[in-house]
Amino acid sequence: MKKHLLTAALTAAIATSSMANAADIKVGVILGFTGPIESLTPDMGASAELAFKEASDSGMLLGGSKIVPVRADSTCVDASAATAAAERLITSDKVVAIMGADCSGVTTAIANSAAVPNGVVMVSPSATSPALSTIEDKGLFFRTAPSDARQGQVLADAVVEGGIKEIAVTYTNNDYGKGLADSFVAAFKAHGGTVTIVAAHEDGKADYSAEVAALAASGAEKLAVLGYLDQGGKGIIQASIDTGAFETFALGDGMIGQSLVDAFGADMVDSIGTSPGGASAATKTFVKMAKANKIGGEGPYDGTSYDAGALIALAIQAGNSADRASIQANMNKVANAPGTKIYPGELKKALEILSKGGEIDYVGATNIEFNEVGEVFGTYKQLEIKDNKFSTVKIR
Amino acid sequence: MPEIIDILNALVLMTNYVILPALTYGSQLALGALGVTLVFGILRFSNFAHGDTMAFGAMATIIVTWWLQSMGVSFGPLPTALLALPFGIAVTAIFVLLTDKVVYKHYRGIGAKPITFVMVSVGVMFIMNGLVRFIIGPGDQRFADGVRFIFKAREFKDWSGLDQGLALRSSQVITIVLAVILVAALFWFLQKTKTGKAMRAFSDNENLALLSGIDPAKIVRITWILAAVLATVAGVLYGLDKSFKPFVYFQLLLPIFAAAIVGGLGKPIGAIAGGFIVAFSEVAVTYVYKKFLIYLLPEHLEPNSLMQLLATEYKFAVSFVILVLVLLVKPTGLFKGKVV
Amino acid sequence: MSLFNNPSLRPYLVFGIMAVLLTFVGVTQSWGVSLTIINMCIISAIMTLGVNIQWGYAGLFNVGIMGFCALGGAAAVLVSSQPVGEAWSAGGTGISLALLSLVGGVCFVYILHKVWGKRPLRNTVTFIAALGVYFLARHFYDPASAAIEAVDPAKTGYLGGAGLPIIFSWVIGGLFAAGAAWFIGKVTLGLRTDYLAIATLGIAEIIVALLKNEEWLTRGAKNVTGLPRPVPYEIELQQAGWFIDLVSKFNADVLSGLAGDERAAALQTLVMDASGIFVKLCYAGLFSVVLILLFVLCQLALNSPWGRMVRAIRDNETAAAAMGKDIKARHLQIFILGSAVVGIAGAMMTTLDGQFTPGTYNPLRYTFLIWVMVIVGGSGNNLGSILGGFLVWFVWIEAEPLGTWLMDVVTSGMDPASALREHLIGSAQYMRLMVMGGVLILVMRYTPGGILPEKSARK
Repeated sequence: MKKHLLTAALTAAIATSSMANAADIKVGVILGFTGPIESLTPDMGASAELAFKEASDSGMLLGGSKIVPVRADSTCVDASAATAAAERLITSDKVVAIMGADCSGVTTAIANSAAVPNGVVMVSPSATSPALSTIEDKGLFFRTAPSDARQGQVLADAVVEGGIKEIAVTYTNNDYGKGLADSFVAAFKAHGGTVTIVAAHEDGKADYSAEVAALAASGAEKLAVLGYLDQGGKGIIQASIDTGAFETFALGDGMIGQSLVDAFGADMVDSIGTSPGGASAATKTFVKMAKANKIGGEGPYDGTSYDAGALIALAIQAGNSADRASIQANMNKVANAPGTKIYPGELKKALEILSKGGEIDYVGATNIEFNEVGEVFGTYKQLEIKDNKFSTVKIR
Repeated sequence: MPEIIDILNALVLMTNYVILPALTYGSQLALGALGVTLVFGILRFSNFAHGDTMAFGAMATIIVTWWLQSMGVSFGPLPTALLALPFGIAVTAIFVLLTDKVVYKHYRGIGAKPITFVMVSVGVMFIMNGLVRFIIGPGDQRFADGVRFIFKAREFKDWSGLDQGLALRSSQVITIVLAVILVAALFWFLQKTKTGKAMRAFSDNENLALLSGIDPAKIVRITWILAAVLATVAGVLYGLDKSFKPFVYFQLLLPIFAAAIVGGLGKPIGAIAGGFIVAFSEVAVTYVYKKFLIYLLPEHLEPNSLMQLLATEYKFAVSFVILVLVLLVKPTGLFKGKVV
Repeated sequence: MSLFNNPSLRPYLVFGIMAVLLTFVGVTQSWGVSLTIINMCIISAIMTLGVNIQWGYAGLFNVGIMGFCALGGAAAVLVSSQPVGEAWSAGGTGISLALLSLVGGVCFVYILHKVWGKRPLRNTVTFIAALGVYFLARHFYDPASAAIEAVDPAKTGYLGGAGLPIIFSWVIGGLFAAGAAWFIGKVTLGLRTDYLAIATLGIAEIIVALLKNEEWLTRGAKNVTGLPRPVPYEIELQQAGWFIDLVSKFNADVLSGLAGDERAAALQTLVMDASGIFVKLCYAGLFSVVLILLFVLCQLALNSPWGRMVRAIRDNETAAAAMGKDIKARHLQIFILGSAVVGIAGAMMTTLDGQFTPGTYNPLRYTFLIWVMVIVGGSGNNLGSILGGFLVWFVWIEAEPLGTWLMDVVTSGMDPASALREHLIGSAQYMRLMVMGGVLILVMRYTPGGILPEKSARK
């Protein structure tokens, strides 16, 4: 039976690829354009679409095909609405792959009830929950953002190296915040540090003075904030500075953004943060490209979004087919060694190599290399606030 | 016996983290709850759209503030938003009166049940919810300017020589002062003016008031205007103190309702008490008393644990637990609220 | 128009329109989308049936729907997920002791309060006793919950469930909600309308806060994903011989024209599409059975002497009380029944999602939207509330593409780069909220009883 299906898949691949020449290829972009991370998603979507445009404009993609992005709203929180949107993309718009989704909860829902059943590849640029490593995805789920289990470790390393021995931790009360807090606390304790209190905060609430009061009263002088920049995380920092409770912060990736520095930069002393990012030259190239296209480029997930989009385009080319199964079969091939290393802005070169039957190893803006479950190990930027913006101290 | 300096430290600690934030938050809740309770007293329904009215009022004020800022107008050390406030109030009052004319008036005419009004106000809530996002977007808007701090925690430490800092923000002072002025004015209006007396009479006994020649249309109009004033001021003060974000104002509705109910619906004094009860209990129940007790207790009694009654995750639930407990003991709130 | 005004034909007409709308989506978008909407429509309809029992039959204003819905969802987790043995041995005893001391303590405080009688300091003594019970329970609870949550926190960190088929949770979810409703009803039903409303609103928030933060129980904010399904998985179907045969039989005429590889390729695509639709049809079938069953029960109840009595109480409490009806007991009964139905729907929704995410319950979506459904459909009329569930969910989902389309049309004449146009198109998703509010207000104004009003007209 399996054999039969395999042949079926192969023939389908051949059949569609012969038809697909010089046609439009639809790729879904499912991100939370409304909801808790609505301020991050416009740049993320635009970054992925930048990769699509680069591939389309090269004229090399399947002999001149174009990728047409189809956007849908994941809402970040409402599983029913997200599944309905994904269902629409997959069965009505017939997208060949999905770049998304963003938040871990809705990503799991879409994977389980829409993408996996229909054999559609999902490449998430920002779903970082450790639980996603073990979902039953039949090899269809990939992510270009590393798991939180790693980030907790990296942030703890950075904090300890900064000479901090005692810290209070607050996290946004959802799977992202809780998962990151768990791994951070474990790693920090393993380094011999003391965590005085771990307190959750709810997003979108009216007042954060109670949380900050509790955090400050625990006795710690420094505060780790693992939340969202435009949500409760910001409220916590504001209330901390207002009451003079904390002025040194350790920030998770959800907190990294220019708007935070604009608001409180002067009052945040010796604060550090981590955010996914790669070898700095490649990242700089990407940021330059993004800025030239009026995209922020420095958001926590802009680089990973570009990479997610680029990988889909390259996988299409590698299998010489805009077919769902063929994309899945070629994801690892284009992302991993051996092959010519490909950096941001080099998609044309990559497409050319692939069309000649050569091999590539996509590195991209964030140093992509998939492991056996389709995840990146991930490099992180360690950031500090300097001259009113976040600047990279080193790569971990 | 703890030393004087320890007692002072403990006091400053409490003031900085519990008393001042709770006073500010309590004032904002009290103003919101006053609006709810006033509408309930005269129009006899719980207005679910009140949170979004606050958002609308704050939005109108913000837009005028931006305009003023772009014109180079400023209010010295005070936020420009205070200058824009009257305009915001006017716009909100017009909008609310229009809503009454288009939506609520019809139901008064046919003598609909109070519950119908409540459902209609849910509809108005949805529309205002969308409208505010439509005009200004769902994101965070910053419009505070002027001097942010009167003194900072570090400055206080240096000045007093204490271990504990105390910060005082201008927005806290503005909130509390403005709330006091507004509440005093409202009570003066209700107690001393002819219209105010008529409103109280109307609230106590509608039929009797009508018999004595009070014009109901006028009462209703004044009520909506007062509600708009209270909502806009509360919304702007909240936005100045924290930040403006439409979604948060919907969330604010729940503790505001809790405050109005705890005090007793239709009772202005109850709304104020309710606002502070809710605010103080949220902070006090989830506060970590470890540091406070370390200052006050002799060394061998010092606590090792955090001394926290309830984790901060449950902060939001605290106001509702208080609400249920109060209703168990006093089914119509602490100040014997109205029932319809 | 006369057809629409004919009360006996009206249900057929409006449900016909609903069917046309869903078919239209099926044809123009896809059947997968249409079925996804239908499944949520059915769940919404069950919720509205529950609310209709409380509001339409008895005039109880319950704004705590969200809480009962979430309890149903929690039941799905506790019934279907696999028990975590390690967590049980780490903290099972501690948690049991904590619960035991809590229950025992509450009984003790209650009895103490009664026995104390009119002696002085009654409330003070009760308060101190309650505080003592709280600290005793915390004494057992704190280490136990910490131990449980430390068991492989990324994957489990909770006690797990019973490992039973998830479909049982529909009953259990109803029971959970009923139990909670009994307790809440005992506490709050003495309150008058607005006080009751806000109290239920608050209690729903408390329930959700508990489910979100008690990680040892339901993993809280970390969510439980990948709950087992009551229906086959698409992937299994795609490899099942009988299913492929079925699909090829169904599409024999399409496939007969093709040969060899081409046929296999076409079949592959067909099987994939069909598997998705088959799974959704299975869900739709299961849900419909529940909906029809509950509908029949509700109809029987409404038209029974019991139903008449309940409506009599609603329309005139004083008169009913004078007739010797026990109003408080009836209200409690109704409150429990209605909440149980909402709990069933909550469990079904979690089953359909395949995951329990307590952080997503918010009153706008899970309380007020359901209320809009009841009012728009027609309170007091079971068919009406079902229609409300279907129609309003349909509008809620389709308002997004519709809003975008509308904005495109409105702004088509403008300069593509104009800021106003970008703003309008960017704001299209908020149309959803305004459309909902508008529909509610218009319906309440022009057909106050809803689209399908109650038969024995009420003022």
